[in-house]
Amino acid sequence: MDELQQIAQGAPALIGAAQSLEELKAVETELLGKNSVIAQKRRGLGALDPADRPTVGAKINEVFTAIQANLSDRQRQLEIIEENALLVGDRVDVTVPHVRSQFGTQHILTTVMDEVSDIFVSLGYRVAAGPEIETAWYNFDALNTPSSHPARAESDTLYVDFGDPADEMLLRTQTSPVQARYMQQHEPPVHVVVPGRVFRSDSLDATHSPVFHQVEGLVVDTDITFADLKGTLEYFARTFFGAGRVIKLIPHFFPFTEPSAEMHVSCFACDGSGCRVCSNSGWIELMGCGMVDPNVFEAVGYDPSKVSGFAFGMGVERLAMVRHGITHIKHFFENDLRVLGQFV
Amino acid sequence: MKVSLNWLGEYIDLPTSDVTELTNIFANLGHEVEGVEVLEPQFRDVVIGKVLTVQPHPDADKVRLCSVDTGNGPTDIICGAWNFEAGATVPVAVPGAVLGEDFLITKRDIRGVTSNGMICSAKELGLGDDADGIMVLADDLPIGTPFVDHIELPDVVFDLAITPNRPDAMSMVGLARELAAHFEITYRVPSPELGVTAGEMDLRVDIEDDRCRRFVAREVRGVEVRSAPLWMAQRLVKAGVRSISNIVDISNYVMLELGQPTHAFDRDKVADGHIVVRAATEGETLVTLDGVQRQLTPEDLLVADIERGSSLAGTMGGLDSEVSESTTNVLIECASWDPPTVMRMSRRHGLRSEASARFERGVDPNLPPLAADRMAEMIAAHAGGFIVAGMVDNYPVPIEPHRLRLAVSEVHRILGIPLSKSEVAGLLARLNFAVSADGKGDDDIDVAVPTNRPDVTRPIDLIEEVARLHGFDNFPSRVPTGGNGGLSVEQMRLRSLRWVARGAGFSEAHTSTFSSHADLAMLGLPLDDYRSQTIEVKNPLRDEESIMRTTLIPGLLGSARFNLAHGADSVALFETGKVFFNQESPELGTVPDQPDVFSFVAVGSSGPGDVAGLGRPVDVFRGMALWRSIVDQMGLGSSEIRQAELPGLHPGRGARVVLDGASIGQIGELHPAVARAFDLTGRVLVGELDLNPLVADPGLLSFVEPSVFPPSEFDLSFDVGLTTPAAALLSEASNAGGDLVESVEVFDEFLRGDAKAIGLRVTIRASDRTLTADDVADVRTRVIRAVTDKTGAKLRGG
Repeated sequence: MDELQQIAQGAPALIGAAQSLEELKAVETELLGKNSVIAQKRRGLGALDPADRPTVGAKINEVFTAIQANLSDRQRQLEIIEENALLVGDRVDVTVPHVRSQFGTQHILTTVMDEVSDIFVSLGYRVAAGPEIETAWYNFDALNTPSSHPARAESDTLYVDFGDPADEMLLRTQTSPVQARYMQQHEPPVHVVVPGRVFRSDSLDATHSPVFHQVEGLVVDTDITFADLKGTLEYFARTFFGAGRVIKLIPHFFPFTEPSAEMHVSCFACDGSGCRVCSNSGWIELMGCGMVDPNVFEAVGYDPSKVSGFAFGMGVERLAMVRHGITHIKHFFENDLRVLGQFV
Repeated sequence: MKVSLNWLGEYIDLPTSDVTELTNIFANLGHEVEGVEVLEPQFRDVVIGKVLTVQPHPDADKVRLCSVDTGNGPTDIICGAWNFEAGATVPVAVPGAVLGEDFLITKRDIRGVTSNGMICSAKELGLGDDADGIMVLADDLPIGTPFVDHIELPDVVFDLAITPNRPDAMSMVGLARELAAHFEITYRVPSPELGVTAGEMDLRVDIEDDRCRRFVAREVRGVEVRSAPLWMAQRLVKAGVRSISNIVDISNYVMLELGQPTHAFDRDKVADGHIVVRAATEGETLVTLDGVQRQLTPEDLLVADIERGSSLAGTMGGLDSEVSESTTNVLIECASWDPPTVMRMSRRHGLRSEASARFERGVDPNLPPLAADRMAEMIAAHAGGFIVAGMVDNYPVPIEPHRLRLAVSEVHRILGIPLSKSEVAGLLARLNFAVSADGKGDDDIDVAVPTNRPDVTRPIDLIEEVARLHGFDNFPSRVPTGGNGGLSVEQMRLRSLRWVARGAGFSEAHTSTFSSHADLAMLGLPLDDYRSQTIEVKNPLRDEESIMRTTLIPGLLGSARFNLAHGADSVALFETGKVFFNQESPELGTVPDQPDVFSFVAVGSSGPGDVAGLGRPVDVFRGMALWRSIVDQMGLGSSEIRQAELPGLHPGRGARVVLDGASIGQIGELHPAVARAFDLTGRVLVGELDLNPLVADPGLLSFVEPSVFPPSEFDLSFDVGLTTPAAALLSEASNAGGDLVESVEVFDEFLRGDAKAIGLRVTIRASDRTLTADDVADVRTRVIRAVTDKTGAKLRGG
């Protein structure tokens, strides 16, 4: 066996024994470097008989190529081993929050108002807004609430000092004045929902606040009936509180609707069998509603013999308290981060 | 209104006594049941006894030895009560009786005498709190009969919420009428039998004020004022009315039974037998039954004799003319009053009574004669005496049933159910409306509305009655949809704005709409600041809520302070909401200007924190970063930050925010003195911007083809004056560079003593070619010249 053959046979063991890229580099120098046997043989080719040169040259190249391939295989292996070793050292405890995210949260009242609005938007309603300081005409007179009505007393309604005293400027006690303004500005058909802030002369207790929110809805067209009101509220109850909810309408009295009703929904927590959420009644009182009183249509310039409509209104805080089990209305206005952080 | 089922049974024979069923029926008629009390007797084997003799106990002086007949002849009972004598009719717990849960009555030896039972007090029988003495009962109760038979137990009491439009339902008879309509059965209205009357009414009644619609009077003479019969007192107690005396109780009883409040005067205290119904005079006073001296005005309506006022009409009687123990002749008043007058009187004087609650809703003006007869009948029966013949009835303008014409097609149009003409007529007839539906085969029904239904004045009110009795449960459902709904661009962009603020780490808050002058003073706002143009609340609940807010900042600072006080170390809040200025709304007129603003506050640290939760301490730059996010994410137009000294803000750390040339608000750190006033320490970031420009429709965005050619960039460093804003350098550089400029950024700021240097990085790129060295040199020269010429800056090393 000549020298070249010996090198070719010994190279794999030599290369395999290299345990680092550095050692491999040394093996490469030894096998293929300037002073290696192979390099010497190449340099010696010129001294050979020209007839032998191609055969010997081919032989040298064959060994060279084989060693080179062997080296680069080993290099790839060692690179992976060395990187793996590095990664082991780079291990961290990913459960330590080295970088904290700081996303803010959406207020639950906004979430509920948007959610309720969107349910009606999906039925083709628009969303309307209006002034919070309102005239008594829009808040009461236009809504068939005569000047003698007790709701207009200072014990129920907050008044402000602005403009002509004859206008009786007040903090709207309901979002309904927006309905009146909307009807004045738009011809029927009307499909509108009005979320917003309202005010009453109520001292703070667990369920009352002088500042709270409502969402009201109004539909007016040439063929709107009590059946439309009932179907719409059923749709709302099932979308907001879940499929399977049933509603009941109980006759009630409001100045701006006739007939009027209170809408109760079967308790979502106990499915009507009675629990703490529904005070063991199986039902949750949710909103007032009814067919728009003809006097309201006349006040805003609609002809009550040509159009009919329904309206409904619900308290946003009450919806949120019932659905999420919030215990006191103050939690909506203290903006305690420990409360805000519970809702996104 | 509390309704005893036993009492109700006097007027209607109900086909059911099931509590759940009746609760649902009441609710479906519009009388929601707010509570149900199931009453059971709290005793067993208590009988009516007659005290035959009362003697001292031979060996005890706190108790007495009574001989009592409980139906089986005399038997001895020792009793410690002293409020009775021989002849009294009393409830007796005989041996074997049980009081309460488990108090067994047995024969007992009391100091050598055997006591065969116990004479009971109301409290011992579970009939009230009266434990001062034993119950002394009416003498006509049959001896030996079970006591329970006379107090109508067991019973169920429904507490109904009667809506304000239904005065007719505020009585036992009225509710019997409602249930009769539901069950399609009959009900009974009392028809008083006056028996023998004597004498003749000698009373003159003048109505001098038309707020009195009718005044009916009757007289019973020779009465004896004592306690009311047991059954009547018990019915009143179940209705939530205290038993006082036979005359007062009868007055209340008739009110609860028929719905007509009545008043009993001592006839002998009416001067000259002459009653005048008149307005009070300014400064006149009347001492009412509760002993309070009332200051009256001409708004008050009085029942008076010719000398002075006797009672506040429909509201409360006067003390002087009250029926007392010595009264022998009773004058019964049954009147009809103008509802708003009674409402205003009861509110003005703080006198809400069962009577005023009925009158202010409207009592049937045709009810007084029946109520007066009923009361006379009951007084004669339970207080003795005789009824004086005749009745005074002063009824200037008799009220007739209201006549309405109802088109059946209207019922269909509003309710959406195909009721036939005869079905509609039938439903109304069940409610005691007089209907005539046979008119010429047309669509109309003629209806006469009973005068006890003041709420029914229009066809729509009849439709409500039809719907109510038909039952809301029996309506079909349908869901109408609108054609062109959806959120407006502004509404969608408002949601985006909130999203941007949340993404910047701010949580949404809702704060009160109310504020106070103290809040504004704490903010350090001068009187001529636009936020000092406040609107006062006329009837605020608290001083802290005396004005409408002109800025959301104090409310948000209050919430920040609340959180710091509850353990938070960093707070970042935002809110969108209305502020109110004392000037007319430019859009709506008449009402005040009430624009929406977007406001925020932050204290503590900000941004993503490290493992210890520590971020960069809050300062004005967090506000600027939020503003940049808003401009970028909301696609706003050209914006500018103009450093300025602003009220309430740190003089060197505040700015106006300018959008498309218009100032839309301010961002800055609170002045340390202001922060201290709000109990806050450290830097406090505040900002308040007009909402409308932020959410206004920006129009369509047009596409800009990205250049395929490479950019070039160069850095420039300038020495500038301490107060020269970097923004000025940026805008000059940007303008001077022309179309080639892609961006100009501040990449560094050096501060050394009173020297300041700003480093700018200018990136330029052409859309149509690769820039040459000459292009870059040209832009560089123009930028340097513009910046140095316009801002007074000097190129460093230049």
